[in-house]
Amino acid sequence: MAKVSINNVRKFYGALEVIHGVSVEIENGEFVVLVGPSGCGKSTLLRMIAGLEAISDGTISVDGQVVNDVAPKERDIAMVFQNYALYPHMTVRENMGFSLKLRGSSKSEINAAVDKAAAILGLGPLLERVPRDLSGGQRQRVAMGRAIVRDPKVFLFDEPLSNLDAKLRVQMRTEVKDLHQRLSSTTVYVTHDQIEAMTMADKIVVMHDGIVEQVGAPLELYDRPKNMFVAGFLGSPAMNFIHGTYRAGDRPMLELADGQLVPIRPQASVADGTTVVLGIRPEDVVIDPQDGLSVRVSVIEPTGAETYMVARHGDAEIVCVLRERVVLNPGDTIRLSLASTSAHLFDVTTQLRLT
Amino acid sequence: MTDVTSTIRPAVGQASRKPGVTFVRLLYVYAVLFIVASIVLIPLVTTALGGFKTLGDLRTNPFGLPDMWQWQNYGDILFSERYWRMLWNSLFISVFTVVLTLAVAGMAAFTLAHIRFFGSGYLLNYFLLGLMFPVATAILPLFIRIRDLGLLDNPWGVILPQVAFGLGMSILLMRNFFRNVPQELFDAAFVDGCSYIRFFWSVTLPLSRPIIATVGIVAFVQSWNNYIIPLILLTSESNYPWPLGIMSYRGEYGTDWQLILAFITLTILPTIIVFFAAQKHIIAGLTAGAVKG
Repeated sequence: MAKVSINNVRKFYGALEVIHGVSVEIENGEFVVLVGPSGCGKSTLLRMIAGLEAISDGTISVDGQVVNDVAPKERDIAMVFQNYALYPHMTVRENMGFSLKLRGSSKSEINAAVDKAAAILGLGPLLERVPRDLSGGQRQRVAMGRAIVRDPKVFLFDEPLSNLDAKLRVQMRTEVKDLHQRLSSTTVYVTHDQIEAMTMADKIVVMHDGIVEQVGAPLELYDRPKNMFVAGFLGSPAMNFIHGTYRAGDRPMLELADGQLVPIRPQASVADGTTVVLGIRPEDVVIDPQDGLSVRVSVIEPTGAETYMVARHGDAEIVCVLRERVVLNPGDTIRLSLASTSAHLFDVTTQLRLT
Repeated sequence: MTDVTSTIRPAVGQASRKPGVTFVRLLYVYAVLFIVASIVLIPLVTTALGGFKTLGDLRTNPFGLPDMWQWQNYGDILFSERYWRMLWNSLFISVFTVVLTLAVAGMAAFTLAHIRFFGSGYLLNYFLLGLMFPVATAILPLFIRIRDLGLLDNPWGVILPQVAFGLGMSILLMRNFFRNVPQELFDAAFVDGCSYIRFFWSVTLPLSRPIIATVGIVAFVQSWNNYIIPLILLTSESNYPWPLGIMSYRGEYGTDWQLILAFITLTILPTIIVFFAAQKHIIAGLTAGAVKG
């Protein structure tokens, strides 16, 4: 149980700056997900919270106490690693009790804590086994158990599910979330998978190239992304971006490079003639034979519940998720409406969302 | 030895699956094994049997069975106090050489493998330089240094140089092994509250049984068979390890070869026993399961 404040933190490796002044407030009991593409600095930031990487500049504090120069073991945090990092020569019980043993707890205390954590995670029958006799999912659960046993102020997860197969990942996702709801402990979770971020987080921190792009609740980020990076990163399939010029009027239009005019939703604050990028999510694109954008269908991908359609207009590729079953073939020409009220306009140069 | 068995097993397995090549392949495998085994066993058996012969018998019939089994050769040695004292001296020197080598080389290798500090590369190279020095070239300065330390004719005067000369190879072997301990284990232990020393003791060492066994055996065998360092640094016969003991069977006018052979047979026995005992601990793949396996 703790509040973590990351205040203008920077990280240099020699002259190379990998984190450029990041500030994030993590409230007591909150589940915060750091998400971003590989190399965006999210794992480095997590390791700095854990104390495994030195902080070049700025401060990290836990419950108001600055921990920059505090050794990892005194920070009272627990970390779950991507590769589980279980001690191969110890049984599950020894693995889970190791931190308490180092702390000098008595045997009975350790056993009680381990049994309690094992009960929470359903590890009871595995306690006397060694890690190499466990499956991937079981190892991951032991790694989580090792963290729970300590009852730490903060849980840190470093891409814990990325070594599991797809089905198990979904199952463990629910387990982690469920665990957090039961323990309601402050949690920082790093992932590159935006679906994990969307489904698990109370608060998402989107990082890119060592800076924080946007912080907010999952749906807030999804519905009102601050810029094109956040808009494109969250959501699958990714948001479509269409370049054009804004034409104001009674019926606002987007003028495409080839001169075609497509109706879009009114944007009061955007001046007539501004060059913009229209961002529209695949599920907001609908087929509209009246006056939509004329495109040529190139790929149809039925997934069962819905159908993904990839269509091309000039160089632009537009992905569209259709809920109804439609009879379309590659090569067909159809019209797509981009007038959804959920569509956004972005500035071409700053990439920020307009309005 | 482990290598030989591990390469043979799959060969035999394959052979049994393909009946056409079974016999030729099996013949080939056994022929090679037989030759290798002979190279190792013939000298050993000759030595052991030679100890049962008289000197004359040994001269005329070096390889066959003895005419008359001279149990007395072995009996005299086994019942002499001198043999047991030399064995004890050798054991004392070897055991402390092994313990010190493992302790010092282990800690140095751990530091050089895991901790980056100014000059760590130079320090490692400095240790490795020691690999290029034959003991014989350093024997005079070594003698003077040991004399100055007042350790002449003292087992420790043999143990310390042996440890020093063994460090280069031991550090090299152990460092390479320690570096393969996954970095994430280190991180996890750190977050769990481990110190460097505790990590070394509770995680690195238990995972390093194969390399500890290897380095330990090498150090033990080298110390057990070492001739030149004890020869130079020990003066009184009561401190002699067994290789020096052989000398006393060499007279001015003749050598009792049958006694030397019996003595050698009895003294290499402990090394063979130690080797077979430690071999069980050379288990590869102990780290399987640390990281996704």
